[in-house]
Amino acid sequence: MSSLAVESQCPVMVPLNCVESELTRQIQAAMGTGDAPVQRARLSNLIVYCEGDEQAAHVNQCVPVLTSLHPARIIFLIAEPGDSDADLVAEVCVSALGSNRQACAEQVTVRAFGRSVDRLPFAVREILVGDLPTNLWWASQQPPALAGPLIFDLAERVEQVIYDSLGWTDPTRGVAATASWIAKFENESSLGPARVRVASDLNWRRLKAWRRLLAQALAPSSAPGALESITELSVEHGPHGVTQAWLLVSWLAARLGWKVKTSKVQPGIEIDWYFQSSSGQVRVAIRRLAEGSPSISRVRLTCAIEDRATCLELRPDRSNRLSAIPVGMGAAPRTISVPELAPGELIGRQLSDRDRDPIFRQSMEVAQALAQSLLH
Amino acid sequence: MILDPGMINPLMAGTPGTLLPQPCVLVIFGAAGDLSWRKLLPAVYNLNVDGSLPSNFAVVGFGIGSQGDPDQWIRNRAKEGITRFSRQAIEDDSWADFERSLFYVEGSFSDLKAYEILKTRLDAIDAQFGVPGSRVFYLSIPPTAVPQAVEHLKTAGMVCDPEDKKSFSRVIVEKPIGRDLQSAREIIEAVGRSFAEPQTYRIDHYLGKETVQNLLVLRFANSIFEPLWNQKYIDHVQITVAEEEGLTQYDPTTGEITGSRIGYYENVGALRDMVQNHMLQILCMIAMEPPWSIAPDDIRDAKLGVLRSLRPLTADTIDKSVVRAQYIDGDIHGHGFPSYRQEVRDDFRRRKQPVPPDSTTESFIAMRLFIDNWRWAGVPFYLRTGKRLPKRSSEVAIQFKDVPQVLFNAKPDVPLEPTVLSLRVQPEEGLSLRLASKMPGPKLRIYPVKMEFNYSNSFGGVSPEAYERLILDVMAGDATLFMRRDAVEAAWKFVMPILETWDNAHARYLPEYRAGTWGPLEADRLIESDGRQWRTL
Repeated sequence: MSSLAVESQCPVMVPLNCVESELTRQIQAAMGTGDAPVQRARLSNLIVYCEGDEQAAHVNQCVPVLTSLHPARIIFLIAEPGDSDADLVAEVCVSALGSNRQACAEQVTVRAFGRSVDRLPFAVREILVGDLPTNLWWASQQPPALAGPLIFDLAERVEQVIYDSLGWTDPTRGVAATASWIAKFENESSLGPARVRVASDLNWRRLKAWRRLLAQALAPSSAPGALESITELSVEHGPHGVTQAWLLVSWLAARLGWKVKTSKVQPGIEIDWYFQSSSGQVRVAIRRLAEGSPSISRVRLTCAIEDRATCLELRPDRSNRLSAIPVGMGAAPRTISVPELAPGELIGRQLSDRDRDPIFRQSMEVAQALAQSLLH
Repeated sequence: MILDPGMINPLMAGTPGTLLPQPCVLVIFGAAGDLSWRKLLPAVYNLNVDGSLPSNFAVVGFGIGSQGDPDQWIRNRAKEGITRFSRQAIEDDSWADFERSLFYVEGSFSDLKAYEILKTRLDAIDAQFGVPGSRVFYLSIPPTAVPQAVEHLKTAGMVCDPEDKKSFSRVIVEKPIGRDLQSAREIIEAVGRSFAEPQTYRIDHYLGKETVQNLLVLRFANSIFEPLWNQKYIDHVQITVAEEEGLTQYDPTTGEITGSRIGYYENVGALRDMVQNHMLQILCMIAMEPPWSIAPDDIRDAKLGVLRSLRPLTADTIDKSVVRAQYIDGDIHGHGFPSYRQEVRDDFRRRKQPVPPDSTTESFIAMRLFIDNWRWAGVPFYLRTGKRLPKRSSEVAIQFKDVPQVLFNAKPDVPLEPTVLSLRVQPEEGLSLRLASKMPGPKLRIYPVKMEFNYSNSFGGVSPEAYERLILDVMAGDATLFMRRDAVEAAWKFVMPILETWDNAHARYLPEYRAGTWGPLEADRLIESDGRQWRTL
């Protein structure tokens, strides 16, 4: 994690047309009596969309870490319930980065009530800094594919939409709609052909270590025959972790060419799919545990390594480590470090990662097929 | 290496741009040494903490000097080194994981039996950690020990065929590669008898620094620089590598010697230690033509083109183009320091060895060189490096030509400050561009302003150490940042006339500079004779 300290000034409420002048005033104030120049550190614009104060407060806690890792002009949009169509008002706050206070990050918060939420895209247009990449962090728990026209308006000029499928209230419907939405968003760019748009799911990023360890543990060079001989896969997850487990299964199925045949669901308990692989049938179960963190807690694979039947168990081991244990093979556990990423850090890293990931898209297509097999 | 189709892993598909480090055992020759303690083991620890290492990975130290249980000894030593030098603080869980994959094999580099013991141990570790026999041998040993070490590795059966589809053997060779062209060729050939060129990684840690890597991006990912990057627009280039450390470390309270590199440096000097490798490599990155692609060999071809275009120095031109010097006593950060010669005497006495006559090893060098090609014809490149300079600071400065002496630059007695693009390699990696700007107010006053880009401010966090990047690259099989044989030889060819001229001169005294100053007067005269001056860092 970054070692930069972040020190914020008190936010000041101003009309929208005074945002820039207030930012300049606060930056000059940050210089204090010293004569050293203060640099506006901003690698990008980051629009953050939240629903309600509680969510905004939660997201706001991520900002110091996020800013220290990826300084950005943060434009916080908070949609509040109500039937007001009052003018939008902004709160402006500058934070000094680092001990020498020579770099500053900027945050603008815009609150909208009721019908005035529709006016947020207009507010955003006038606050964006030109010539910088623009990202939208869709912090709402509503899947972006099901969010209606607001997200399309907010995402009009953005290069990246970041969402988090963790905790979606109706994961099956969300997953079923998302692959098509991603394709539409990425391919129907209003930015022109020269600029690439990308949609990123933080849950996919969280899976990185699981995917990496699975790839290493099943590598043909160290586990000959394992990939082709998988017959069973079970993934256990804590409450609200089902989409993460779903994504992992979809990735494996996409990479190994498994085709879904049938499915069965016990709501809130277990989802089973039967796949056809090149060498036979594969049974996959996603199992919800009654308690635990909203993430995958264990993956168990049945396969054969060098024609010897075995189980491979992957699970978190102590803090910040993930282990793969070949059961009954007499081999040492393989472990990798999984640095614990605070939510702000996760976002900060995603902001710098603007390449389209074809593997994610392929996995989402499989995820969509799995969702449709449950809905039909 | 082309993979056997049966070895292709579909789960690895989509690995972004950079190559992934492959499962292997890292074998550090000379793991008891200073480099391993300060840099290599902390680098591997940091990679492990960051989750950059594969799960099938272990580190084995090889050498003499352990006490008691060798594995426990190296773990204790590594822990001490990591605690003192790692960029990330040591944590119990991360350390426990690192420790269990760290081993030591005691043995002499010249003893073939020790290599057989090493092989047996490596085979067992392979089985334990699921490593498919792949090994990276890091030779952190004196150049004279390299030929025998690689020969024994091969004889003991620890070097795979370069075409092997399942596992790999790679060797990392540290600088200095030889002490002259002849000895460099001998080492290169000795290594070549055991390891093919694609298996050989000649490391120069400067090339692992972010700013140095950013040179290529800056030049070839921005359209504004490359059209100006030539003799039409650039007046000169300055490359400075300044070190405040001398060759000996003293306890600030007792004045006792706590460490010394005199034993290494006395036979080397600044030309061999810094110019032949680090500085010429940086020069190549600045001056190279656009490579065909970013494939390792295309970049290395482009760099070689620079070395081959360097105007050879002759005995006649060396006196005018090269200044060497030695520091005498002086003061840095309010502390007094003795002269280089005194450090030599102190070190030899400490080691109870006969004190040699007064040393003529240079601790400072400044030089002017030219690249005779279309792009750089007539543009001087000034290089300077030295020990016990006022501060630790390395930078590359591109000074653009003055604007015509009309309009704002019409007063010859008050010329405008030139535009300078400065790339800081250390300590704060970043770059700045000095521009002329109008000062606010009714009068037309022009003042130089700096546009700054600082890595840590802009990207946050702390950049990984150069060794971290380079070790990962070797594990991934990416040789872009490593020196190819022909480049090493070309660099030696360039400096050989200087070494030979100095040898023939039999100088008893070198120009001197006070510790804590920017070098001798002779270095100032070298650049001032061209109507230019060294930059203040």
